[in-house]
Amino acid sequence: MAISLKESIIVGLSDFWSRKIRSLVTIVGIVLGTMSIIVVLSLVKGINKKTLEWMMERGGLSKISVYRNWNYEKQVDVKNYFTLKEINLIRSLVPEAKYFNPQIREGVHYSYGENKYRGSIYGVIPDFKKIEEWDVEAGRFISGFDIKQNSDVIVIGTNVKEELFGNKKAVGQFITAGKRRVQIIGVMSHRFMDNSGNIGNDNALAYLNRRAFVPLSTMIHKGTGRDRINSFTVKAKDAESAPELRQKLEAIILNLRFGEPVFTIESAQEEAEKMAENAKKFRIIFFLISAISLLVGGIVIMNIMLASIQERTREIGIRLTVGARRIDIFVQFLVQTILVTTIGGILGIVSGLSILDIVSKYLNIKLIAGFSMMIIAITVSAGIGFIFGISPAIKASKLDPVVALRHE
Amino acid sequence: MDRIIEIKDLKKEYKMGKVTVPALNGVDIEIYEGEFLAIMGPSGSGKSTLMHIIGCLDTASSGTYFFNNEEVSKIKKRKLAVIRNEQVGFVFQTFNLLPHLNIQKNVELPLTYAGYSKKKRVALARKVLDEVGLSDRLKHKPSELSGGQRQRVAIARALVNSPSVILADEPTGNLDTASGSDILTIFSDLNYKGNTIIIVTHDPAVAKRANRVIKIVDGLIQNGDIS
Ligand SMILES: Nc1ncnc2c1ncn2[C@@H]1O[C@H](COP(=O)(O)OP(=O)(O)O)[C@@H](O)[C@H]1O
Ligand SMILES: [Mg+2]
Repeated sequence: MAISLKESIIVGLSDFWSRKIRSLVTIVGIVLGTMSIIVVLSLVKGINKKTLEWMMERGGLSKISVYRNWNYEKQVDVKNYFTLKEINLIRSLVPEAKYFNPQIREGVHYSYGENKYRGSIYGVIPDFKKIEEWDVEAGRFISGFDIKQNSDVIVIGTNVKEELFGNKKAVGQFITAGKRRVQIIGVMSHRFMDNSGNIGNDNALAYLNRRAFVPLSTMIHKGTGRDRINSFTVKAKDAESAPELRQKLEAIILNLRFGEPVFTIESAQEEAEKMAENAKKFRIIFFLISAISLLVGGIVIMNIMLASIQERTREIGIRLTVGARRIDIFVQFLVQTILVTTIGGILGIVSGLSILDIVSKYLNIKLIAGFSMMIIAITVSAGIGFIFGISPAIKASKLDPVVALRHE
Repeated sequence: MDRIIEIKDLKKEYKMGKVTVPALNGVDIEIYEGEFLAIMGPSGSGKSTLMHIIGCLDTASSGTYFFNNEEVSKIKKRKLAVIRNEQVGFVFQTFNLLPHLNIQKNVELPLTYAGYSKKKRVALARKVLDEVGLSDRLKHKPSELSGGQRQRVAIARALVNSPSVILADEPTGNLDTASGSDILTIFSDLNYKGNTIIIVTHDPAVAKRANRVIKIVDGLIQNGDIS
């Protein structure tokens, strides 16, 4: 003795369809609300995942980097580089650091016969390989002996190798780097990280393949000729102890520079934590914004439903006449509102997915809306329909059949 | 013959703010199974009000009304919906079909609320639409039919759940003479088959087909029954 749910849904759908334009206008708020839920949540998730992946590729969470603070405006005359002596002092103060690699960067022209190439050359020590977790694919890396001897040796990235030698063997050959003749002792392994997109470079780590490495001592004594170390990297025992080590390094360096923040000291672990923290804040703020837009959408729908009851008074009278109970009318209108908002939610998801598609191509980030996100979006939009559908449904079910029938 | 309807001293007044409008001023009627009763009277005399009360769409202000020996004022609202669904078939002057449903669906409507299966609904709706001569119009919308055809759909809808009484409030009021006469023939046939019919009308021709006519003026039955 009741109209079935299926029947209510069919009535609701045909009603939605017979007023297409109005129905679409009604659900704009819901569509936008769910769309932005999908887009923003996936974006935050995608960017975080990408950043974390990148951190793992660049030495993991136990890595600490010290480099010049570009935001620091010089007020006092302090050095924005370290001397070898200072580096040795710092190293001795952090014996708990597993690896420690000071480095100097220099831009140089290479040549090998007719072939020329321009790139960055880094003066490093053997610890570099450990910190970056990056080894050679041919030959060997710089050794402690090379450092002691100020050897004229170089290890090149795959891109450098390709430009200068093509398919030919590079290890053992001599090239000119800047003004010096150096012997290639190794070729670093090729680095690759999927940039999954069509625009720009497919490889997020391509810049590493363009680098070359020489012993730090050779660089200081025979290259730049200056005892100026721009930056260094450190590896803590593990990710958990990295923040503590970073604090210690910061204190030491600030002390060396009279409290002036000339250097940035950054721990990957803390960056990752900050990132997670920010993502959380962002999600909360964002949830509030979409909640507001969904609420506004819900209020709009409620008012349109209330107005449509005015229009459908006669229909309600007819239904009551042929035996509809008040609960049947209530369910019919409630189901219809839920249906409308759910359709809005589905359209929101569909448009959100297509926006994600465009954005992920543009940003070169793989953005996937999780299944759970879609479930959340649909549940929320159906819930909005339920909450804001109750009042119109009650109004409809309370109509007096006789008055409704006399309604013109 | 069984008595379906027994009304005693029935009064109805409408409250419009501070004003009370009396519509029925003490009506007594008994209606028996198988009757074809015509109710005549001038506009505003309370005919529709009486029909609504008989059909359990509205309730009286005072007096007693027994429908199938049950006192209607004592029946719960939910049960009244069941009575409207199973015992009463309404036909209106303005047809009152749902415009967005095709005619088969319109006729199925009471069965939907009765909880019948789709298969049963379709079968019953087609059967009554066939009886009123519309089996070739099942998928048409009401707007695609003439007035006479629409009223036949309304009659089919009133009939489909086999009610104990059919109430028709000026069913020919919006029709030309020819289609009006067709509709009356349908009511006559239905009555001949045993259906109880109460019809409100201005038309003396209608009254001729009925087996009893009562006249209502200012909410009161005039000089008893005219047989
Ligand atoms: N909902 C209502 N509110 C106020 N007055 C009404 C209402 N319905 C009917 N009336 C009044 O009750 C009287 C009887 O109306 P009605 O039963 O429609 O008469 P009839 O059908 O015989 O023309 C009229 O005076 C009418 O104005
Ligand atoms: Mg009337």
